[in-house]
Amino acid sequence: MPEAAQLGFQPAHRIGLLIVSLILVGLVLELVRRRMFKERYALLWLAASGFVLLIGLAPSLVVWLARLLHVQYLTVFFALSFVFLLGLVLSFSVVISHLSDRNRELAQEVGLLEQRMRRLEQPDDG
Amino acid sequence: MEGALPRDHPAATQILKLNFFALQSQTHHNATGGKNEGLPNMPRVLVIIPAFNEAETIGAVLENLQRHAPDYDVLVVDDGSRDTTAAVAAGFAHVRLVKLPYNLGIGGAMQTGYKYALRNGYDVAVQCDADGQHPVDRIKDLVGHVLKGSADILIGSRYVADTGYSPSMSRRVGKSILSRAVDSIVGAGITDTTSGFRAANRKVIGVFAGSYPEDYPEAEALVVLHKAGLKAAELPVEMLPRQGGRTSISPKNAAYYMVKVGLAIFINVFRPNPRLSEGAR
Repeated sequence: MPEAAQLGFQPAHRIGLLIVSLILVGLVLELVRRRMFKERYALLWLAASGFVLLIGLAPSLVVWLARLLHVQYLTVFFALSFVFLLGLVLSFSVVISHLSDRNRELAQEVGLLEQRMRRLEQPDDG
Repeated sequence: MEGALPRDHPAATQILKLNFFALQSQTHHNATGGKNEGLPNMPRVLVIIPAFNEAETIGAVLENLQRHAPDYDVLVVDDGSRDTTAAVAAGFAHVRLVKLPYNLGIGGAMQTGYKYALRNGYDVAVQCDADGQHPVDRIKDLVGHVLKGSADILIGSRYVADTGYSPSMSRRVGKSILSRAVDSIVGAGITDTTSGFRAANRKVIGVFAGSYPEDYPEAEALVVLHKAGLKAAELPVEMLPRQGGRTSISPKNAAYYMVKVGLAIFINVFRPNPRLSEGAR
């Protein structure tokens, strides 16, 4: 790929990409196997690692994009990672906010129920 | 809209007080409900006191309440205090005590009180600080106006008239900017939107039980009410110097406070109206 070399792509990079993608796929599969993800995160990460593996196997995809955008191939790689991680962090913020709302409601319920229980046990006490 | 109300003493509270004393003996320390439970014509009032590490001051506040508002139920929401706040409150036989398992912040604690008020069928809920700044003897005036229907929520304001309260310059400027911002949205001529000394009717209780802002909630809460179509008014009161403990707004937090509340108010304008969770659970 003579053009690919112009965009900064060296044949040795391919080996690095393959290694990284294989490690990621292996890690994700292992975490899924141990049920350390909720299903929806498992799916998300499986898709992401599948995508990295695809690039590792066929870097011409990234090279093609790089040529289209007139940037170095590595830039495309980082840009894609950035967009993916940005989306992921945003979704985490949403999830955390949701969880903290539920957490607050749960704490309030515990407090109210505990008060009610105390009153029922000791009718003469406040 | 509703402006400052005259400082009169509504007849409603007087009648309420007389009825209470007539019937006190038979309903005192009822296990399941309020002191005036089962009397259909008598409005039930709950004073909500959120407290986080206020052991120093809460005792005096509860004593004052006993003296000035003996016919109102009192609920202390202990917001995960690490001191003896809960023990002090538990020492008052007539005081209901909800202990939150961990600190939720003032918003979460106050909302707990509103949930309690909603589920236990209170007609009026009063917000009062545990640090002794709020003049407990004026609670009846706030409640009286709410019962009269002057507004859905009555705010005890520091700035309506020449009162004894004199905050620092920076705080005064900050609060007046904030108050103006809130009032430009709410449009009720409220001068003290950050005051946490309030009395709310059943409609407000319903809204707040379902949706109450988290930290520094006072100003934002008014925007929430405005969106729900409810009306606010204020009554001049003289605030007292805090009797102990520390203010929740340190200079370090002041900037965060302004930005956070400003943003929250701005965002609230674009939010859908809160639902009225009248008569839930």
